[in-house]
Amino acid sequence: MAMGILGDFMWKYVKKLEYPICIDKHNLKLAKAILTQCGGPNGELGAALQYLAQRYNMPDDLGKSLLTDIGTEELGHVEMIQTMVYQLMRGATLNELKEAGLEGYYGQNGLSINLGDSNGVPFTTAYVSNTGDYMADLESDLAAEQKARATYEHLMDLTDDPNVLGPLSFLRQREIIHYQRFKELKAHYLDKKRD
Amino acid sequence: MNSSTNNYIKCNYIEHVNPNDLYNSYNGFIRGNMFPDLYNSYKLREPIEIKPENEQADMLTYLDGLCFALTDINLYLDTHPNDNDMIGLYNRFLNEYNLVLGDYEKMYGPLNTNSNALKGNRWSWNDSPWPWEY
Repeated sequence: MAMGILGDFMWKYVKKLEYPICIDKHNLKLAKAILTQCGGPNGELGAALQYLAQRYNMPDDLGKSLLTDIGTEELGHVEMIQTMVYQLMRGATLNELKEAGLEGYYGQNGLSINLGDSNGVPFTTAYVSNTGDYMADLESDLAAEQKARATYEHLMDLTDDPNVLGPLSFLRQREIIHYQRFKELKAHYLDKKRD
Repeated sequence: MNSSTNNYIKCNYIEHVNPNDLYNSYNGFIRGNMFPDLYNSYKLREPIEIKPENEQADMLTYLDGLCFALTDINLYLDTHPNDNDMIGLYNRFLNEYNLVLGDYEKMYGPLNTNSNALKGNRWSWNDSPWPWEY
């Protein structure tokens, strides 16, 4: 899924990932760990919903555009995480599922993508911060990017598979860029407040 | 494990970035970052190269790079809307993206539902593979 480049109306699906994912070796424990970046407390789904909900309260066009565009990119990252989990479970046998301790996951979800964290805790909008105070919201966005960056580092610690490290590293780097742009928006608002 | 260089902590508002200082689209794409001053690696000594296995994948990688350059420069322009030099670079990437996208869709099928590649008798939007199936 990609950004508003061709978007002449609403949101549009683009039939490609932001970064290609081709994982040929399944790894169930890693799939379970990475699932947290889909529906976990610091995950992409929460970030997308948070920015896209907060943008209505941004005081000017800089804030509205940045939250719209980063929120849209995060939706593409949900697709990347779900693709990683899908491919990391692809072709696993029942024995492998049992050995990895995924009987509970398989019982509830089969091999589908659960919208929860690594421990099966379901996604909740309690992860989403939206106060109606744009400076407070922006601070929560900066924190969200840092927490997601830290999570990607933990996930990168868990694997040496280049086909998994590539997309994880890409996603981690996006958190750094988003953090930088949010910092610039914050600096812009602080200057404005002084005027 | 801790990051060796925490430059993401040090970054302040950057008034202006010279478009010539950016990575090219492929090198930015494999890093997830078009801006060398903001690049911060973790665990990997070198960014992982994309290794396309056929001509289609090769062309898609090139398109992915252009699409990524647009995404990343778009965010920069959101907070630097008066940076005319960077708007120029955005438009150069956009022109190239549109050309390569048209060629790709003609050869390998539509990536968008408003693609000219859908102007036929057969509904090729449904064709596999889907992005997660590689």
